[in-house]
Amino acid sequence: MSLFRNRRLRLIVVGLLSALFVLTLSFGCAGKQAAGPGSEKPKKGGNLTMGFDRETDTFDIYQMTWGSGQEYVYESLTTRDWDYKVVGSLAESWESTPDGKTWTFHLRKGTKWHDGTPFTSKDVKRYYEVMLDPKTAAANALDWTWIKSMDTPDDNTIVFHLDSPFPNLFGKTSNSYGSIMNPDAYAKYGPDGTKEYGTKIAIGTGPLKLKEWIPGDKVVFERNPDYRWGPLFVANKGPVWVDTVTFKTIPDAATRLAELETGNVQILANVPVEHYDRVAKIPNVEVFKEPAFGLGYLAFATDKKPFNDPKVRQAVNLAVDREALVKSVFFGLAQAAYGYLPPRTPEAYQDTAAIRYDVAAAKKLMTEAGYPNGFKATLATQNRTEHVRVAQAIQPMLEAIGIKTEIVQYDEAGYKDFLKAGKQELFMRQYEWDNADILQWFLYSRQVPYPGHSRWADRKTDELIDAAESAITPELRAQKYVELQKYLIEQSVWSPLWYPMAITAVRTDLVGGFKPFPGGGNVVIFDLWMKKNVK
Amino acid sequence: MRAYLIRRILLMVPVVLGVTVVVFLIIHLAPGDPVLLLVGERAPPEIYERVKHAWGLDRPLLTQYFSFLGNVLKGDLGMSIQMRRPVAELLARAIPVTLELGVAAMGLAVTVGVVSGVVSAARAGSATDQVTMVGALLGVSVPGFWLGQLLILLVAVELHWLPPSGYGGLKYLIMPALAMGFADAALTARTTRSSMLEVIRQDFIRTARAKGLTERVVIYRHALRNALLPVVTLIGLDLGYLIGGAVIMEEVFGRPGMGRLMIHGILSRDYPVVQGCLLFLAVSVALCNLLADIAYVFLDPRIRLQ
Repeated sequence: MSLFRNRRLRLIVVGLLSALFVLTLSFGCAGKQAAGPGSEKPKKGGNLTMGFDRETDTFDIYQMTWGSGQEYVYESLTTRDWDYKVVGSLAESWESTPDGKTWTFHLRKGTKWHDGTPFTSKDVKRYYEVMLDPKTAAANALDWTWIKSMDTPDDNTIVFHLDSPFPNLFGKTSNSYGSIMNPDAYAKYGPDGTKEYGTKIAIGTGPLKLKEWIPGDKVVFERNPDYRWGPLFVANKGPVWVDTVTFKTIPDAATRLAELETGNVQILANVPVEHYDRVAKIPNVEVFKEPAFGLGYLAFATDKKPFNDPKVRQAVNLAVDREALVKSVFFGLAQAAYGYLPPRTPEAYQDTAAIRYDVAAAKKLMTEAGYPNGFKATLATQNRTEHVRVAQAIQPMLEAIGIKTEIVQYDEAGYKDFLKAGKQELFMRQYEWDNADILQWFLYSRQVPYPGHSRWADRKTDELIDAAESAITPELRAQKYVELQKYLIEQSVWSPLWYPMAITAVRTDLVGGFKPFPGGGNVVIFDLWMKKNVK
Repeated sequence: MRAYLIRRILLMVPVVLGVTVVVFLIIHLAPGDPVLLLVGERAPPEIYERVKHAWGLDRPLLTQYFSFLGNVLKGDLGMSIQMRRPVAELLARAIPVTLELGVAAMGLAVTVGVVSGVVSAARAGSATDQVTMVGALLGVSVPGFWLGQLLILLVAVELHWLPPSGYGGLKYLIMPALAMGFADAALTARTTRSSMLEVIRQDFIRTARAKGLTERVVIYRHALRNALLPVVTLIGLDLGYLIGGAVIMEEVFGRPGMGRLMIHGILSRDYPVVQGCLLFLAVSVALCNLLADIAYVFLDPRIRLQ
């Protein structure tokens, strides 16, 4: 080749390559500028765009298993305020009989559906009836099985009759998966109609209407101009300030960041921890970190040798250095977990004495269990970057007490299948949920094999859960759940590892009025306004 | 020619049918259960069974296959399990997005590739030739997704010339087409150059030159036409690769095309979506190969299709 005989040419090539390299480096290191002072008075108009890696699966609440944006279209009977306390939404007030078996909700007057028809208690009743009808096969029906019957003495009152007290009632009525859809629209466009309900049509009472949904691209919502009933904890109770809200689906994290940098996206939810530094350096971007409602944990097939021995499970628990894990895998942007429920849930219980890092104690337990030389096992994980890295970090920690693991990875669908089929030994899981009933879903014996993937069928656990879920007061429920967690920790059913953090990045030069919501999941829309319109 | 075409088109039927059988088997036998994803973590077994039955996934595999085939013949590609929309509707939306990118990238690759290949060959050994070939080497070596990221950082974030991602109009098309077409242009340039060099040395070119034809006529009318045969083969084969490239570009540039649809379908075990996408792909790849074969005849009269 005569290529490199030409000196000028060689210089050009080398020069071009170095320029490319320097450019690549310098993009990552742009300096941060202070946000300029803007007018702080909200103004009407503008289009807000948020970036997500994944879109909702449907706007049909009955069938929704992964939702985003439903809290804008629909409202629920109650909701949560900035302190995560239950406050009124569609219901203004409520009361119960002393035995906790009859609950009366007084609905807000003057509320209207998106199609202009008035919202009444009869709509609520029909909505739940369809939910609980086995023909609907609603994925979320389980949340509402506590309803025995309903009465509607007038248009603004709905009475729920229960078989037994249900202290988690407000957990259900405040959840966005429990939002209320218009039953007439559902009957007209639902599965028995044109099947367009949930994808093209969604009728709620919320501050935004579903305008357009292009799968894989974006969901566009527009202002509901007739909205007048914003929740108590927000300043703006009328129609929202912005004209439209767009949820843009951008699977690639680096591209999502680029959209934030250019200002095309103004709010970015769920920033991956490895991108935190880059986001924090973008000019005019404020980053909000909130402890999320979730837990990452290591679980066992508790019915299989050697994991059916609590000593082995306890040994694994003691072998993991959670603080090191949080530092190395999550760059400190998570919390080490010493309990089964996120610290902010009222039922949470932490035990740093039992769930600790103690290799010597772990080795002793292994010997007591009859495995002085350890054993081999598979360590299964879903192929999410963070989880794989956690598995890789745990591997040498387990090897230190003689457990040699082979990491096996699955995609989401394959993983669920694998767990349901009962092929797991040691495995990683993460849940995102704000309610103690998550322990019921995963650890109640009825739930084996799926979602009871720990294969934990234990009478005492069932009894404690039953007692908690039918306690008369929330305080009693919390007490029972704490009792349950103490027992689970003693049995080492799981090995809790980390509490994730929700990181939200906001372009404060373009958007005003942002305030992080507890848990970081939802962006409260009412007080948001556009300082500058991007499009 | 007409008989050949009819026979080729008829031959496509067993090929496409074979593809559907293989795809159907692979996706249904792969671990993963769309119903589990659909009903979620919390659904009781009764609901799981009911949903499974509603989607016909509890029927024997053979029955499911024939009902799929029967529906396809009626023009019905079924409903997406995860997205609850007709697969035909999803495809109708996604195909133009991918096609637009594919055509743009291919157009770029062919024009830039052929022109620079010809120029390189005509001036073999010159500085132009060397620069072009270094560029081509870079093009073949640089992964498209990296080039895509680089373009986003440079053109979108730093210069604010184009939006980083999305779909709808030329401004969203330029960067992905460049990132995707670059490697193809490089490959085309290298193939054109070597093929041209071979042709230029042949007798008929010497004759053409001896007749006193201008260099331009010799190169573009006599040599290029003959040199294009391997390029056409390359382009024909490239179409399959192009869809693969589109998958990555659609991820990087957030374009709601076929690639994204297919990945989403595969990850969520959305059988009807995957089957629909692959059926479309199989038919289009078969058609492109047919077109490439037809193109041979026009380029080289010695080739007869029988």
